[in-house]
Amino acid sequence: MIFVNKKILVIILIAIANLHSQTLKDQFSYANELFNEGKYFDAITEFKRLQFFDSENQFSFQSNILIGKSYKAGAKFDDAIKYFTLAEISSRNDEEYFNSNILKARTNILRRTNHQAERILNELLVDTKFKSKENEIKYWLGWNLIFLDEWKKASKIFLENNLDTTLSNLCISVDDKMYSVNFAKYSSYVIPGFGQFYTGEYVSGLLSLSWNVFAGYLTVNSFIEDRVFDGIITANFLSMRFYSGNTQNAEKFALQKNLEISNKALNYLQFQFKGEKP
Amino acid sequence: MSNKIFFLLVVILFPIYGQQIDIHSPKNIKKFADFLFCDKDYLRAIDEYKKYLEVVNNDTIRFKIALGYSLINDQSNALQEFSSINNSSALYEQSRIEVLKSLSLSKSDSAFYLLANNLINSKSQFSNNAQRLLNTSILLNENELPDKNKFLIPFESDDKLLLGNYYDLKINPPYKSETVAGILSAIIPGSGKIYTEDYGDGITAFLLTGLFTYLAYTNFENDHQTRGWIFTALGAGFYAGNVYGSVASAQIFNAKVNFDFENGLKLFLEDKNFFTPAYDFCK
Amino acid sequence: MIINKFILVLISLFIQLSISVYSQTDWVRWEKSDPTYQKKDTHLNRDFDLSIQSVSDVIVKPLINAYWFFVSDVDGANCPFHPSCSSFLVQSIKETNPFKGTLMFFDRFTRDTNVFGRLEHYPRYGNNHFYDPISLYTLDKEKIKIIPTNTFINE
Repeated sequence: MIFVNKKILVIILIAIANLHSQTLKDQFSYANELFNEGKYFDAITEFKRLQFFDSENQFSFQSNILIGKSYKAGAKFDDAIKYFTLAEISSRNDEEYFNSNILKARTNILRRTNHQAERILNELLVDTKFKSKENEIKYWLGWNLIFLDEWKKASKIFLENNLDTTLSNLCISVDDKMYSVNFAKYSSYVIPGFGQFYTGEYVSGLLSLSWNVFAGYLTVNSFIEDRVFDGIITANFLSMRFYSGNTQNAEKFALQKNLEISNKALNYLQFQFKGEKP
Repeated sequence: MSNKIFFLLVVILFPIYGQQIDIHSPKNIKKFADFLFCDKDYLRAIDEYKKYLEVVNNDTIRFKIALGYSLINDQSNALQEFSSINNSSALYEQSRIEVLKSLSLSKSDSAFYLLANNLINSKSQFSNNAQRLLNTSILLNENELPDKNKFLIPFESDDKLLLGNYYDLKINPPYKSETVAGILSAIIPGSGKIYTEDYGDGITAFLLTGLFTYLAYTNFENDHQTRGWIFTALGAGFYAGNVYGSVASAQIFNAKVNFDFENGLKLFLEDKNFFTPAYDFCK
Repeated sequence: MIINKFILVLISLFIQLSISVYSQTDWVRWEKSDPTYQKKDTHLNRDFDLSIQSVSDVIVKPLINAYWFFVSDVDGANCPFHPSCSSFLVQSIKETNPFKGTLMFFDRFTRDTNVFGRLEHYPRYGNNHFYDPISLYTLDKEKIKIIPTNTFINE
């Protein structure tokens, strides 16, 4: 008699435990549904509710990851990174540890805290446990280099082991189109206006050249005619001003053109590239 | 027999089990909302409390909703929610002083003064708080001040010292006169700006005006009429521009005095949480 | 490994605390957002404008535009302020009148020449400019809005 009662009691207790766990599973699916529908704010509420009642931390990892992903989708990158770190802390195996770190790195890429992304990815890269995931790590290192404007280095990474030929070709073509900022600047030191011509800014190049010739003539002329004071004034206020303006402009134009080129590529990557993006 | 025990157990355990697993039950909604509230996730907490209120009528919850709105600086909703707490509630007095804070933050002056006087005269638990908030607001917004000693009575000794200083600043603000600044610069170029404590600009104005006057003078002396007139025009420009600029500089100086005064008092009010009481919702 | 776990727990505590401090993110409802991958172009794009709105524009605008085109754009970055001295002149004439605008310009030029105490005097604009708007100098007290010097302005 007593034996039977105990048995029944145990069954009921197990049933209760299972049903509790079932409730949490239901809550997880509900929150997940909201996440999949793109209702990120509400999804976070429901994941938080799940965490609140999940006293055994069964769902800590998944819920932290999905809260992080929700914040990432809302471009709340600081919060996203915090929750990915919480996910990393609640990870139960290497796979989960790896995934949370990759998400953290991808969010850092988007937040343009690229050195942090680089550090996270490099730490994963040297970890022997993740030897088999080398390609995935390098793929994101490549993306990080793109966001750092290092198109040449990025193309090399994508080319290794044929990681992604589309991206590597794109990076090479961007790098080919880029103007050399130093060449633009220093060539203008030698011949005023040259850097402007190099970057296709002909009118500005001509103006710079004319001003420098004119100011140079005035300065030299003043000294020849022994008007030292006039010479110093024109050298200081005309020659130097337009000479330094000329090199500043050459550098500025190269930077501006490069920005246009990289922005065009970034725009393509964001809206037309079909592969995985940060 | 065993069947009887089984049913008995089910009957006994079912309510316990029900509480344990229905995380959307009113009680659990409230628990979760309390957690969110104390985690400063106020908007989510408000949503949860509202769900709870649909089932259970509770003034504390209504008060916490209002407080949540106030804390996320949504004063119009805060006012609406605080006002829904009626005078039979245990939190009625608290809600009134919170309404006063919300009115102060939403710059509803006439309603603010009406309620403040009402609270002070009603001898409520928070009459003194209302008096302090009212006095600080008067100091911040009004031109006519009551007598200093009378003004400082409701405050504690540390605050008395601080507010006493602000009181004196209000009565005698350290303004610079626009006229004096203009006249000074008209007599000695740049001196108006030195008077308004823009020392660098003052000295520069003196040097520029002096330089162009000198250039004009020497050019006229050497019979360079055109250059003389150009430098005269430039010198006159700097002279007149400086007189103008000194007046502007005095205005900016005074605006800064006002800015610092207002900013200081606003920080004081925030520091004191607008003299609202502290609650132990998150102990 | 044990040390690692300990550090992770510390980090977790820190994050839990900082999340509750920063949960302001969720004080207003937000939706999905796709911020652009593109970098912002911070270079100055000159807005050449020759439209005539008042009598003074007939003289001032061609002069200023010519100055921008032939001089200002090729002589390097010399003005430490935003708006630049020439823009300041155009805007102050627009806000007041040619006489007052000219006086404001001479006064501005004085501030431009003085290199001392700028950090303590002006709020910052962008990476390397000081913010010195027209509204402070029109002698209309209502228009004066004080901005603390340590603020960064992004218009």
